[in-house]
Amino acid sequence: MDVTMNDVNSGQGRVQVRFVTSSPDIELPEGKRQLLVPTDAGRYKLSQLLNSDYMLDTQAPIPFDFLTNGTFLRTTLDEYLVSQGLSSETAVELQYVRSLIPPLFEASF
Amino acid sequence: RTHLDPSDTLELRSAADARQQWIHYESLTRDLSLSLTEQLRLILAPTLATKMRGDFRTGKRLNIKRIIPYIASQYKRDKIWMRRSVPSKRSYQIMLAVDDSKSMGESGSGSLAFETLVMVSKSLSMLEVGQICVVGFGENVKVAHDFETPFGSDAGPKIFQNFGFEQSRTDVTKLVRESIELFRTARTKTSSSPADLWQMQLIISDGVCDSSEHEPIRRLLREALEERIMMVFVIVDDVRNKKKGESVMDLKEAKFVKDESTGVSKVKVERYLDTFPFQYYLIVSDVKELPGVLATLLRQWFAEVVESSN
Ligand SMILES: [Mg+2]
Repeated sequence: MDVTMNDVNSGQGRVQVRFVTSSPDIELPEGKRQLLVPTDAGRYKLSQLLNSDYMLDTQAPIPFDFLTNGTFLRTTLDEYLVSQGLSSETAVELQYVRSLIPPLFEASF
Repeated sequence: RTHLDPSDTLELRSAADARQQWIHYESLTRDLSLSLTEQLRLILAPTLATKMRGDFRTGKRLNIKRIIPYIASQYKRDKIWMRRSVPSKRSYQIMLAVDDSKSMGESGSGSLAFETLVMVSKSLSMLEVGQICVVGFGENVKVAHDFETPFGSDAGPKIFQNFGFEQSRTDVTKLVRESIELFRTARTKTSSSPADLWQMQLIISDGVCDSSEHEPIRRLLREALEERIMMVFVIVDDVRNKKKGESVMDLKEAKFVKDESTGVSKVKVERYLDTFPFQYYLIVSDVKELPGVLATLLRQWFAEVVESSN
């Protein structure tokens, strides 16, 4: 099948994200911190992205929480940008931390 | 008590600012402009060594094919000479499209874009090879200087007044679509013959747009190519003000791709430039590099056009 037909991102916006953390053991190498991410991504997708082999390449997935300006991200990036009056032209800094509450999606693994 | 309306003074001030800004960039890029002008002169000017053609009574070289008929006619059919035919003068319509979106200001690429705009537009106006148009783009496309207006000394500052790097989107698809329209209109208004008219666009931008646009852009670029409109994308990448991994050369993009058989979505990370739709693009991190790389690219393009039309 055509690859583009599988691409669920078409028509979606993108935003430049910078992933930072204060935990040295899960820190990304400098060249991998900057990434264009679909704006429909929320905590689940962002967590999936960080665990992927391109990023942290974790053995077992670590559930992450994300903070923007000290506040937990509970919506999609798009909704966050709109609520803050920002556009996808502005790079977003996301601080990631290990999630303290076992997330629901872990059950599906 | 002043008779001036406050909004008028505001307008005047911004005009004064724009003028100052233009002068600043002009002095920064003066030497580079001259260097670019010299390089472009060689490329854009019509080639003088055109073919020798017959048939004339006097000329520079004998036309061998005419010799036998000449003798057979007892020297009456004496148009046996060839002359260098006068080259037709090429004329150009060149559009500079400058990214006016917010990312330009945020990434620090704005001043590099201005340096590029000033340098290129100055060079082109010095060359006097044709008409120059400047547009700004982002969410919308705005003409800051149209083809019909001569590029005088006041043109630059007026153009600068149109840029603020505040537009909240970077719609390159729209830019390409509307540029093609502008070129079509400009073509109908020109007096030069269609074969001698060359249309060219330089897009000056940080290069980041939604990659979902890449395919529609590719389709529009084919349309432009068929109408012999050349589009060059100059990516300004101010690496001096960027952290590692922020350069457009290193920029990666995450995609979530659904596996149709299992329904599981998987992460795919690609290099952003791998799907970049423009065939002719160059990356400039220092404006000093531009005259050289731009000249090389244009030379290559002309060589390809000449080859394909032969
Ligand atoms: Mg932009």
